[in-house]
Amino acid sequence: MTLTRRRFLTGAAALGAAAFGAAACTSPTTANPGRITLWYTSNGLSEQVLGEAVRRFAADKLTPSQVSGELEQRLLAALAGEAYLPDITMLGDDIASYFADTEHFVDLNTLGAAEAKPEYLPWKWQAGASPDGFQLGFPIDVGPAALYYRHDLFAQAGLPSEPDDVAAAVPTWDDYFDFGVRAQKKLPGRYLITDTKTVFTYSLAQEPRKYFDRDNHYLDDQSQVRRAWDRAVKAFRLGLTAGYAGSQSQNGESIDRHAAWNSGKELSFVNASWISGELKQSAPGTSGKWRVCRAPGGAGNQGGSFLAITKYCPDPHAAFEIVKWLQSPANQPQNYLELGLFPPSPSVYTDPRLLAPEPFFGGQATMEVFSKTAREVQSVYFSPWDITISDTYTDALTTVESAGKDPEQAWNDARASVERLLRRQGVLS
Amino acid sequence: MTAILPGTAPASAPARHAPVSKRKRWRYLPQYLAIAPFFLLFAVFGLYPVLYSLYLALQRWDGVGPMKFVGLENFRFLLSDATFWESIGNTLVIWVMSTVPMTVLALLIALGLNSSVRFKGVLRVAYFLPNVTSIVAMSLVFGSIFSHDFGILNWVLGLVGIDHVQWLNDPWAIRGAISIMIIWRWTGYNAIIFLAGLQALPTDVFEAARIDGAGPVQTFFRITLPLLRPVLLFSVVMSAISGMQIFTESQVLLGNRGGPDGAGMTMVLYFYNTAFADNDFGYGAAIAWGIFVVVVLFSILNWRLVQRPSRGQVSQVKEAVR
Repeated sequence: MTLTRRRFLTGAAALGAAAFGAAACTSPTTANPGRITLWYTSNGLSEQVLGEAVRRFAADKLTPSQVSGELEQRLLAALAGEAYLPDITMLGDDIASYFADTEHFVDLNTLGAAEAKPEYLPWKWQAGASPDGFQLGFPIDVGPAALYYRHDLFAQAGLPSEPDDVAAAVPTWDDYFDFGVRAQKKLPGRYLITDTKTVFTYSLAQEPRKYFDRDNHYLDDQSQVRRAWDRAVKAFRLGLTAGYAGSQSQNGESIDRHAAWNSGKELSFVNASWISGELKQSAPGTSGKWRVCRAPGGAGNQGGSFLAITKYCPDPHAAFEIVKWLQSPANQPQNYLELGLFPPSPSVYTDPRLLAPEPFFGGQATMEVFSKTAREVQSVYFSPWDITISDTYTDALTTVESAGKDPEQAWNDARASVERLLRRQGVLS
Repeated sequence: MTAILPGTAPASAPARHAPVSKRKRWRYLPQYLAIAPFFLLFAVFGLYPVLYSLYLALQRWDGVGPMKFVGLENFRFLLSDATFWESIGNTLVIWVMSTVPMTVLALLIALGLNSSVRFKGVLRVAYFLPNVTSIVAMSLVFGSIFSHDFGILNWVLGLVGIDHVQWLNDPWAIRGAISIMIIWRWTGYNAIIFLAGLQALPTDVFEAARIDGAGPVQTFFRITLPLLRPVLLFSVVMSAISGMQIFTESQVLLGNRGGPDGAGMTMVLYFYNTAFADNDFGYGAAIAWGIFVVVVLFSILNWRLVQRPSRGQVSQVKEAVR
């Protein structure tokens, strides 16, 4: 048979159609059938621990897959199509947005999670459970907040400079602001607070309630939100904030912030434990000059992720064994040392490896400060809409700080747009 | 074109049509198969998503759970959504702020390249280079150029004695910063197109002008610019198309929410933020259709502006050639 052009074309078309049809029929539900696939983000889990897990769970064919870009977008696409789903997946601190759709996941309680529960911080454990008790997430890490400050510059200005003395001088936000005004008199042109956004965020993180109660009812009384708002505005009015808006994203403003760390322009800032890595990396020249103490206003947490098992996993028990082992107290120190993932198990806080003096912090063992905060954090309900609402308020604060908008007007506008948003989402009627 | 007599056409048509029955139609099967891949791919990756987004715009959906039909609720919300209207305004403002200086700059560069300059090839490549640079990489570089306390731009301004500009905090400076990025990216591209246009102009017109004693400025405004009009219009239309889609510059420079006061919030960024950051896919789809309507209106406007002068211009050119 000679290959004419027509034969070639019809043959190619038939082949294409066959491939198309075959693909449509066998599109697998899980990403790698016969294996247990784990989706994680870059810097989400220690590579060393994962490597060990692959060897240890060779029988289950554990296949870790680092998702480039945004894991959530890929997960949503896979869930919507019910195809190529991971067996185990990482979820961020927006875990609450999945609480209404738990039918896609396995309740870890049915796999014996209750036995592991006492080993973890109670508030973190609860953050992974939906209001009706469905245990969706297994803790990976937490983000206890602390006050980072420049020991050498505080001492130079004749201010308290040892961690305990600084903590004693700034028990509340108001004390911290007074302290800031005094410090600025001695060290003009420098800042003690990154921006209004961090004041709002970390102040609200210390409250026992945010925007919703556990039954997903919008808290009409927003006094705790207003308190955080007023604090942020006060810090701005006192001229304590540097206005590095959006300083937590990888863009121009964080360049300013990094430069301010290097030059000593930013004297102190409140932030979660995970900023340590960025600080060390961006301002290596300031090594030995930083210290950490308890944050003004009390214990708060910001961020932290979870592992969840999808219902499409053919062997959830095996998957749970992997999850439990990966996040076991024995492996958490490695996660912390390698990536700065703060351990969610209090028993790890006494690990000698984590209590070793840290040269970057002038020989201080920061674990002591962070672990105390981590234990004191109150359990707070995070609703599926919290991140969007927070962003709306902090956007408004940024407008006050950098565009000079009237704070009262900004507050009213922010509240109105939050309520409008919730009405559109069908939360408010 | 051959003239067909009105009487002959109906007579020959049925005669030619008769044998085109089933057998003949199948004869073209290979041709249809050969062009089928495009239509198949378009149906799967073009048409289906478009129709699906229309369906999605009528739903409330967080991306995970079941969809809830809400009818035209999303569109009703869109019409009263101040953020959406602001994003349209931002997009148009940024488009004007970038296109006008860009066109002038590109024209100047093209004129410079058209006159005898050494290393022409190298310069052409150099001017085209920004266009093929990754926007994300570029935005990071610009982020450090524009940063307030330690940016290069403010440092240079400081040397000249101008106060620091809050490039990424002040609403108008934000729009300016985004426009500068767009200008940097597209000036070279348009300069190359203008250069091609300049080199295609008939030389005899210029010779005639020189003989008549026209100076370089007169030649430029009376002859070069009118003759270059089609190319200029092409570049304006192209920049309008890309201007409506400004997204990456804002997103990488300012984040998903468009920076302070939402000054860098463009239409496409608002769509992205709603659908993919807030996981509000139904409303995101409604925004996408809102953008579609804006782009259609803008295209009609553009088309009308482009059509009319070009007709006049053609006769002008004809007269000039005569």
